[in-house]
Amino acid sequence: MKSEFVFIALPASALIAPSAFAIQYLTVEQAQQAIFPGKSFTAAPVTLTSVQRKVIERASGVRVLHDEQKVWRVSGGGWFIADEVVGKHEFITYAAGLTADGSVKQIEIMDYRETYGGQIRDQKWRAQFVGKTSKSTLKLDSDIKNISGATLSCRHITDGVKRLLAFYEIALKH
Amino acid sequence: MKSHSNIEIRRCRPLLGTFVEITARGHDERLLVRGIEGGFDAIERVNRLMSFHDTLSDVSRMNRDAFPKGVIVHPWTWQVMKASKRFAEESLGTFDITVAPWLTKWNYLPRRRYQFSPTASSRDIFLRRNYEIFFRRELIVDLGGIAKGFAVDRAVDALKENGIGCGIVNAGGDLRTFGPASQLIHLRHPKDPIRVAGAVRLRERAMATSGIYFERRKYRGKYVGPLLDGRTGQSGRELISVSVAAAECMAADALTKVIFALREKAAGLLAQYQADALLLERNGASSWMFHSSCDTSDGTRFD
Repeated sequence: MKSEFVFIALPASALIAPSAFAIQYLTVEQAQQAIFPGKSFTAAPVTLTSVQRKVIERASGVRVLHDEQKVWRVSGGGWFIADEVVGKHEFITYAAGLTADGSVKQIEIMDYRETYGGQIRDQKWRAQFVGKTSKSTLKLDSDIKNISGATLSCRHITDGVKRLLAFYEIALKH
Repeated sequence: MKSHSNIEIRRCRPLLGTFVEITARGHDERLLVRGIEGGFDAIERVNRLMSFHDTLSDVSRMNRDAFPKGVIVHPWTWQVMKASKRFAEESLGTFDITVAPWLTKWNYLPRRRYQFSPTASSRDIFLRRNYEIFFRRELIVDLGGIAKGFAVDRAVDALKENGIGCGIVNAGGDLRTFGPASQLIHLRHPKDPIRVAGAVRLRERAMATSGIYFERRKYRGKYVGPLLDGRTGQSGRELISVSVAAAECMAADALTKVIFALREKAAGLLAQYQADALLLERNGASSWMFHSSCDTSDGTRFD
């Protein structure tokens, strides 16, 4: 086997292609069919009282940001819930399918969006870009489909599901 | 889009502690959806077997009982343990799945009451017949540095077994493409995740990236990253990101950690796996350690 070992130094300007990442995987209807194929869905939205909110927060340890919860009753039993979570960098809508007894059947990400509101904190690093880029605002670049790199934690989704299970106990379970 | 693969289905689920995305292309939507299900099933299985957090996983069982009695594990777990030992040997101990005590100390992993010998290493792990794992000393293993890549490979197998000819499995940045078409992969910039550091075209190839990205914590007044040199327990400092492209995602995943520790000294190992590596440094410099070629026919590489 021939072994090559070459270094190619890239100019600093090579590092400044601005981008943001957004993708829609599923609409609500598609997510419903993905989790509960062939079933029908009846909208059953829930508005939480402040007491319910507190109980959910205490039970799950997760803050409730919205009083409205988008819920559908699934034909033949079960629940479909559309929910959203906001992380430091990401805004995600996802669907959780719960079985009739309230256990998680399936989670599907519907929309994934990464947004970065803050300034780049490292001034030294930033200096390299001065004069080399138009400091373009975030734009959704549809060409970016596959990203290698940081393993983003899905902790916010995990927390969101915890909150939904507490919500089920309070608002859906009979 | 080519006529033989006119439909693309893309799904994403939270698994392996990250977002796992599976893309499949073809012309039969139902076949694609079924194949993607199979891919997620494989990843869920790896998740169950190799989670450090799940007390019922093979990893937790090994950490509890492989010393002193030995534990029978799933063939997949056995396979990953075997590969881990091999990578530890080939990398002179820089890749070592027994570094978990350090990570636990730095709160990257949940604290446990496991006992461990501070000098224990992969050399103290023995693979016996009938998928039995035995630890010669008290130690803790964490497959976080390799299981994700393995999961991607198993998902690709499952997709192919389900008749999918073209697609991508991307587990939070560790990914593998398969099929005749090359795929454009963007590399997230470690220091400024809003930007991409570059792009590479991959065909029938996996790519994994390890880096000090958002995950930095202070330990005794110093920032530490989750990447460690298995020999010393020191976290890598100057390098902030290493990407490795290889035929299989498990090798790519493991090699990123080796390159982090050994840099140029790992060139022989890269050659052995016919892998390429891209290194990004804190000062903004980037360099390729280059062996075999990615699909660079259109000259996209990192530009």
